[in-house]
This record gives sequence, C-alpha cells and structure tokens, in this order.
Amino acid sequence: MGLNVIVPPRPTKDSLSLGVQHSPEFACIPLKICIGNLIEANQLGADTFLMVGGCGPCRFGLYGQLMKEIFQDLGINYHTLIIEPPDTGYWQFVTRVKKVIGPVSWWKIIQGIQLGYKKAVIVDKLEKYVQEIRPREFNKGTADKIFNNALQMIDQTQNLDELEEVFCLTKEKLWHIPQDESKDVLKIGLVGEIYTLLEPFASLEIEKKLGKMGAYVHRSLYLSDWVKEHLLTTRFFKLKGNDYRSYASPFLNHFVGGHGIESIGASVAFAQEGYNGIVQVAPLTCMPEIVAHNIFPQVSDKYGIPVLNIYVDEQTGETGLETRLEAFIELLEAKRKKVDRKITIC
Amino acid sequence: MGWKIGIPRALFYYTYFPLWTTFFQALGVEVVVSPPTNKAILDQGTKSVVDETCLPVKVFFGHAATFTNKNVDFLFVPRLISVEKKAYICPKFMGLPDMLSASKIKHPPLIKPVVNKVKSEQDTHFLWDCASPFTGKWLKIKKAWHDAEQEQRNYEQKLIRKYLDITDDRKLNILLLGHDYNLYDHYVNMGLWQKLQDLDCTVFTPAQFSKEERDSQLRKFPKSIFWTYGRNLLGAVYSFMQRPGKKGVIVLSSFGCGIDSFIDNLIIRRLVEQKIPYLNVILDEHTGEGGLVTRLEAFIDIIRWRRDYHQNYVSSYGQYVGCCKGNVGVHGTKCDCTTSSYKR
Ligand code: SF4
Ligand code: SF4
Repeated sequence: MGLNVIVPPRPTKDSLSLGVQHSPEFACIPLKICIGNLIEANQLGADTFLMVGGCGPCRFGLYGQLMKEIFQDLGINYHTLIIEPPDTGYWQFVTRVKKVIGPVSWWKIIQGIQLGYKKAVIVDKLEKYVQEIRPREFNKGTADKIFNNALQMIDQTQNLDELEEVFCLTKEKLWHIPQDESKDVLKIGLVGEIYTLLEPFASLEIEKKLGKMGAYVHRSLYLSDWVKEHLLTTRFFKLKGNDYRSYASPFLNHFVGGHGIESIGASVAFAQEGYNGIVQVAPLTCMPEIVAHNIFPQVSDKYGIPVLNIYVDEQTGETGLETRLEAFIELLEAKRKKVDRKITIC
Repeated sequence: MGWKIGIPRALFYYTYFPLWTTFFQALGVEVVVSPPTNKAILDQGTKSVVDETCLPVKVFFGHAATFTNKNVDFLFVPRLISVEKKAYICPKFMGLPDMLSASKIKHPPLIKPVVNKVKSEQDTHFLWDCASPFTGKWLKIKKAWHDAEQEQRNYEQKLIRKYLDITDDRKLNILLLGHDYNLYDHYVNMGLWQKLQDLDCTVFTPAQFSKEERDSQLRKFPKSIFWTYGRNLLGAVYSFMQRPGKKGVIVLSSFGCGIDSFIDNLIIRRLVEQKIPYLNVILDEHTGEGGLVTRLEAFIDIIRWRRDYHQNYVSSYGQYVGCCKGNVGVHGTKCDCTTSSYKR
C-alpha cells in the first residue's frame, strides 16, 4: 500500500532468547517472542512498530505499552503506534488506521484487506488438507514440504487470480501424495491460547509432531476465523467464526479473557463429535488457560475423553515434549482398543 | 429460620468483608467465615488445583474445603468480574465458581452472583441472585445493600490515613504494595507487617491513599490500566512518590500471577526512575521466613545508611537495592539482587 513494510523474520530460538532477556520474567511467552522478534526487525531497519491495544481483561492489552517502555530502556529507536480497539466507535478506529498508513485511497485499502483475508482463508484451507494427510502419508514430511512452498508463493501473490492459481496447484500436488487410505487414525482436538496455536514455533510444532505420530489434528482456532470474528466484524454486520462458546456451559459459564472459554467449548464439541483425545497448549502463567485447565478434569470425566495439558515457555524441551506426546498417543490407542473389544463382545 | 452462609477467608473477602457480612446479616442470615489461613489450609488448597495456579487461588481452595461437612446451607463464591467501570479484577476471579465446581472439593450449594460493573456502576441485578434463597422482598434487599455499602465506605474511609499526621522523621516510610489478600493474610505474607514495624518503619498500603487520589495520579500513565488491583498499586506508587520523607517500597507479588508480572514491571521502572529503593518479594507456597528476614534487614539498612550519610549518593545503592545495572535488570533473572523468591 505504498508503505515499506518489513516483515520480521520468522521467530527462531534466537529471537526467543533475545526476548527472554529483555522481558519480565513471568510474562507470557507471546510477549517474549514478540519482543525478541521486534528487536530483530529493528536491526533489519524497521523504525516503527504497530501494535494493537486492548482493554482487558487479559494481559495482551498492555503489550504495546510495556514494549514501548522496554525499547525505551534499551535505547532502541522505535516509533510506537498503538491502535486501541474501537470502543469509541468503528469510524474513529478506521480513520486512525488511515492516519497511520497515510494517504492511500479507500479503494486500495479495501482491496488490500480483501486480499489479506483471502490469503488467510486459503492458507487455512490448505492447512486442513495437510492435517488430513500427515498421519496417512507414507513418506513423512512430504505434505509439509509442499505446504511450506505454497506459503512462500502465497506471500508473493499480488492479486486474487494469482492466489487462486497457487491454491489449485498446491491442492493438486497434495492430492497426489501417496497415502495409506485404510489406516484408522486417531483424532485429536488441539485447543488453547491463540498464539501458541497459530505460531508453530511457540508450541514447538506440536501439531506436526502429533501428525507424524499418526494422529489427525483439528484445531479450535484458525487464523481466518479469528480475522473474520475480530477484525471484520462491525456493529452493523456480525460475522461469526466457529461458535464454540455455546458448548462451554455448564462447565464454564462466563468469558474469562483470552481463549479460555473457547478451549473448554471446543473440547466439549470435539468430544461430542467422537474425537479420541484433547491436547491443550498454553503459555506458562497464561491466566485464562489456567482457569480452563482447572475445569478440564470435569469435562474429561463427563465425556470420558483424555486431556493432555502442555504449558510452553522458554525452558520447554523438545525431547520432554515428545515423550509426553508419545505417551499420550499410546494411552489413546490403548483406550480405543479396549472400547473396540467391548463392542465385539456384545 | 436460621440460614447460614459460609464465606471463605480468601481473595475478595479481604477487600469486601464489611460489605458482604453486613449485607447477609441484614437479611437475617448468619455468616460463617473460615478460620485464618494455616498450613493445613494451604496444603489442602495446593492439592486441589493444578500446579500452575497462582498462590492466592490455591489458598482460596483451601478455605473452600474447610466447609466440607460444615453445617452451612450455602457457600458464597461470587463471580467478580468487575467492580468499577472499565476495569476488571482478574480472569481467575471470573472463573472462580466454575473452577470450584470442577474440583474434587465437596462443598455446600454455591451462591454465585455475577458482579459486572464494566459498563455501568449502577447495575444491581446480582443482588437478586445473592438474596433470593433468603427473601423475596426487593425492598428489604435494597435496604440491606444500602446499609452494606455504607459500612464498606466507612471501612475504606477508616483505612485512609493522613500521611502528614503520622510521618515521623526518625522512621522510615515503607510502602507495602500488594493485592489485599496478600497484604492482610498474615500467614501468606509471613507477618511482614509486624517485621517491618519491629524494624522501626511506618507501613503504608495502597488502601491508605484515597481512591480519588490514586485515580487522579493514574492519569500520568499513558494508558488506562484495566485491572482494579493494578490501578490500586500503580496509583499508590504515584501518590507515594509525591510525599516527603525517606522512602522505600516493597513489592509483594504472588508467584504465578499474570497481572503482577506486568504491573510490577511497570512500577519498578518508575521507582528506578525516581531512585526510590525497592525490594521485590515473590510469595509462593514454599516461601521460608528465614531468608525473608535477612533480606528485609539488609534492605532497611541500605535505606537507613543512605539516609544518614549519603543523602544524594545514589549510585552505590544502585547495585544492591533497586538495581539499575544495565537497563535490562529492572526485573529480570539476571538481577537476583532485586528479585528473589525464597525457597526453603
Ligand atoms: S491469553 Fe494468555 S498468553 Fe495471551 S496475553 Fe493473556 S495471559 Fe498472555
Ligand atoms: S490477580 Fe493475580 S494473584 Fe490474584 S487471582 Fe489473579 S492471577 Fe492470582
């Protein structure tokens, strides 16, 4: 849109340790990664960062302010733009955004938003295919390779037609991966805090790991749903993503910030759909997810579905995580066999 | 008829006990409060929730468990979402009744009104949920609530002390910052108050500054803080900084508290800026008293020493209390001189 946008490099171990160094010790991991990542972007020449504000109840609303102060202390030159959510009205919000991005025509903005949203939708569609294929493919990792390739291409597309083309091509490629069609895979619902769900690095690629172990994974949150629900919803027309909240009662009867209620609701929905297990990922000290975690035993009892809770922080190790996941998968397998036997006896 | 209602002595109790006890008593209900925290209660609480939960919530569950098999008709566990406009308490308060029902603790039936004043402070719908088991008369409820609010106001008024009246030049002024349930639960904070008084300090708490003062001071902060406890603490710090006398700040936070992890950081930045010495004490269920006393004495000595001999000499304490080494050590792992959680 005529702005020079520097996309920060994908977060790595280095960004994390950089972030850990400069953030409060007990902050949640998304903040730590963001800070590390922004410092790296600054080294690449970015001079302004844009952050959305918020008004609670979760810590996310204070991210921008805290970052600003941390960067000040570090002597890093950053202009901070904190966009507060539209509690004063949608129109004001839009004008503020426009002020930030400068003199660009409305038409272009709308086009930009449309393209961005379409990209998110397509990435999610492809990702869902990949999730199906992962546990069944003979040659582990093929689907991911194709998917990563596609991500790069999507990133570079300039208009809707190109995007469509990339989508069709990738879909075709994915379909041709040799798979074990007869395999009876375990179905696992992945729930938790949004950042750890959407950023594979933050959750140590939990999703891929489960896929390789032979489980089909479905997440409670996809980027496009989130965009639809939070950014494109106005007072006049409401677009709803997957409505998991209504399932949360009677276990959790009130919004608790973050995605606590979605975690519970989605787990109930997954359990009713006959999934074999639930994995919850969340940053250590994440408040809404701790509330959810305390409620999970009840859900688990009622529906007889095992739940694995995983907290991630900078100290989470790959091997430890893998062992826990493997143990969980084994448990699910054993449980499924037991149930099957019962059926045959009857 | 003699209804009895139980209130756990934890979390909201410490801030709002005049309000709720008066309210229920005015309705003719007997209020039973659990005993002060002790080791058994804490252990029970720790067992009942997942490890990652913060200390105060663990303590709360311990207290709730004391009502198992007790002769009370109801247990009062409100869902306190917000007590003032545009500010929340904490996600964990929002999920409190649900967490309790999901736990293994056997408890009497809950009375769990939803108190939410984010949009309007006039909202009194929740009263109906509180009182409907006991009475059906709205007027009676209204009256009870009116009295209760009066009582609460009196109590808060009594807490506000006139700073100048009590400033004694020979004493140190220590601002003790923390959430009410840590400040007033002397088992959890290991009698910190008494210890400070023994060391010849005058102790201040956020509640000793009026709400109006705290709120007006808060305007200095560029963003509005959306946590009530956060507002109290930061407002108190700003107010305290304005006052004369020799000062030090003790920041009391609970291990695993998400709000503290941010607010304390912001507070400490301001203290460092103003060169006010501070000590950050993080409470967890393993906290040991021995280490704390040594820390406290050292901290007080430093302020004293600085006051008596080196009025303006600040850089040397910088290494010890209120570390300004580098800009990162404000509240971080590398700077164990400021942050320490005392393990037994
Ligand atoms: S939802 Fe959890 S991780 Fe996200 S900001 Fe809140 S506490 Fe942090
Ligand atoms: S404010 Fe902090 S200490 Fe209090 S309940 Fe919430 S997380 Fe726990």
